[in-house]
Amino acid sequence: MTITIVLLVELIAFVLTLARQPAVGFFWVDLAQSSLFLLWIGLGSAWVMCMARPLLARRGTVQVTLISLALLMLTTAAVSEAAWWAGQYYSDRSGGAGGGIFPSSHLPFVLRNVAISAVVSALILRYFYVSHQWKRNVQMEAVSRIQALQARIRPHFLFNSMNTIAALTRSDPDAAEQVVEDLADLFRASLAENKQLVHLREEFEMARLYERIERLRLGERLEVDWQVETLPHRALIPGLTVQPLLENAIYHGIEPLPDGGTVTINGRMEGKEIVIEVVNPVTRDSGARRHDGNKMALANVRQRLELAFHGKAALEINQDADQFFVRMRLPASEQMK
Amino acid sequence: MKVLIVDDEMPARQRLHRLVDELDDCEIVGEAANGNQAIELAQKHVPDVLLMDIRMPGISGIETARHLATLDRPPAVIFTTAYDEYAIAAFDTQAVGYLLKPVRRERLARALRHASRLTRSQLSALATDDTKAEARRTHLCARVRGHLELIPIETIYYFQADQKYTTVAHMEGEVLIDESLKNLEYEFSPDFVRIHRSALVSVAHLRAVERDADGKQFAVFRDCDARLVVSRRHAPALKRRLRGS
Repeated sequence: MTITIVLLVELIAFVLTLARQPAVGFFWVDLAQSSLFLLWIGLGSAWVMCMARPLLARRGTVQVTLISLALLMLTTAAVSEAAWWAGQYYSDRSGGAGGGIFPSSHLPFVLRNVAISAVVSALILRYFYVSHQWKRNVQMEAVSRIQALQARIRPHFLFNSMNTIAALTRSDPDAAEQVVEDLADLFRASLAENKQLVHLREEFEMARLYERIERLRLGERLEVDWQVETLPHRALIPGLTVQPLLENAIYHGIEPLPDGGTVTINGRMEGKEIVIEVVNPVTRDSGARRHDGNKMALANVRQRLELAFHGKAALEINQDADQFFVRMRLPASEQMK
Repeated sequence: MKVLIVDDEMPARQRLHRLVDELDDCEIVGEAANGNQAIELAQKHVPDVLLMDIRMPGISGIETARHLATLDRPPAVIFTTAYDEYAIAAFDTQAVGYLLKPVRRERLARALRHASRLTRSQLSALATDDTKAEARRTHLCARVRGHLELIPIETIYYFQADQKYTTVAHMEGEVLIDESLKNLEYEFSPDFVRIHRSALVSVAHLRAVERDADGKQFAVFRDCDARLVVSRRHAPALKRRLRGS
């Protein structure tokens, strides 16, 4: 950081010296003087800003900018003032010799410096702001990508399925083959673009593939009751919306129950809206430890609905003493605009 | 070497069964589908090693292992898990044996060869580490005539401390355990509250605080006839708790 400041200061000194067009031969002297003066300002400003950190933390961008600008201008004014007084003192002592390097006019000198400081500070603040924003965007993008990937492919499911395949390879090769095919279809669907729309029938098909894999693992503990006959199966829906809800219901609702239970998927039309409700039993102690994964999957489904229907779809979550409900509402349409 | 397999998923048990069968000098003495069964079978067959899943319905693998550690000849436990990042992180720091599913034959063979007994301290360190949900047991384990009995926490009315033991009064009767009230209170608060130096009661089963003619206060329960003395020191906190819930 200090090196950056020194570098910046030197650059400014260079520009100012060039702009002043000193006589040939005096260029380096002039540059040295400007550097000395500007370094005082630069490093002084850095010190002031460091000290002001507690004051600036937790304030909005506008406030921070204004306060910083004011502080930087004040610092410049203070250093200029000091330089002027030092010059007076030095001139008095040496009887006027060397007065050339010190400013002769007091007020214009200080004002000019403050004005330059204001412009340069504003530029530098803007630069810091933009580069900070850019860094933050890059970070946020990376995080959201990872989250999206994890929401699509739940590692728990992947590894359990692998284990099921390993077990079935010898005991029931046909079943093992089918799991591999089902998994391939599921992952192909989950790697598809976020915005892609599919027919309701296809989405239900995906959820059924998923159910078939889980049934091999959970056996009779898993029961899924499909009540979706009345829905228009050609309606369009974002891919991977019903399947993650079923996955959630099984992972949080059925797996913790020693004797298993039933997930109900109920679909109906309400006016021109499709309503799909996924209901699973809850266990008393499952509440605490399940939240993170749960939220992520639901947030992901919500995001998909939002991308496709722009506020016309909704995801509602309800819970009573022994059941957990997720209700998805979306406009029934067979063609997208 | 006698091996007991514990997993709630049938294919997972099948596969482990086959892998262990293929190893020399290993014999499978049983398969359990949950923690309760595991504790039962472990006492019946006295296995040397348990291969146990962590995520199971009911009592988790880690809690089951903690209960098993109270046996006279506790078996070594090797946990198996498909994906459980927190548990694995904890295992790595505690040097506890674990295998990732699908389990590799060579890794299984090595783990069984090196099966070292999980000591009680290792297990409790594991349970109190960062997996907070696991730190709190769902059952208490008591020895009744040399046999382990599991008591679900929600069926317990109260704990009463004697000089040496603690009595657990629950729906099925009473048992003695070897744990201090202080630790029980620490683990099970706020569901259990102190009402006396020697008694800790379940808030869910508590009905009211009654006062007799002499002004002495008693805690009475919904479906248990016991009347426990409430000390003057603990009365205000108890009443606050009763009003609050």
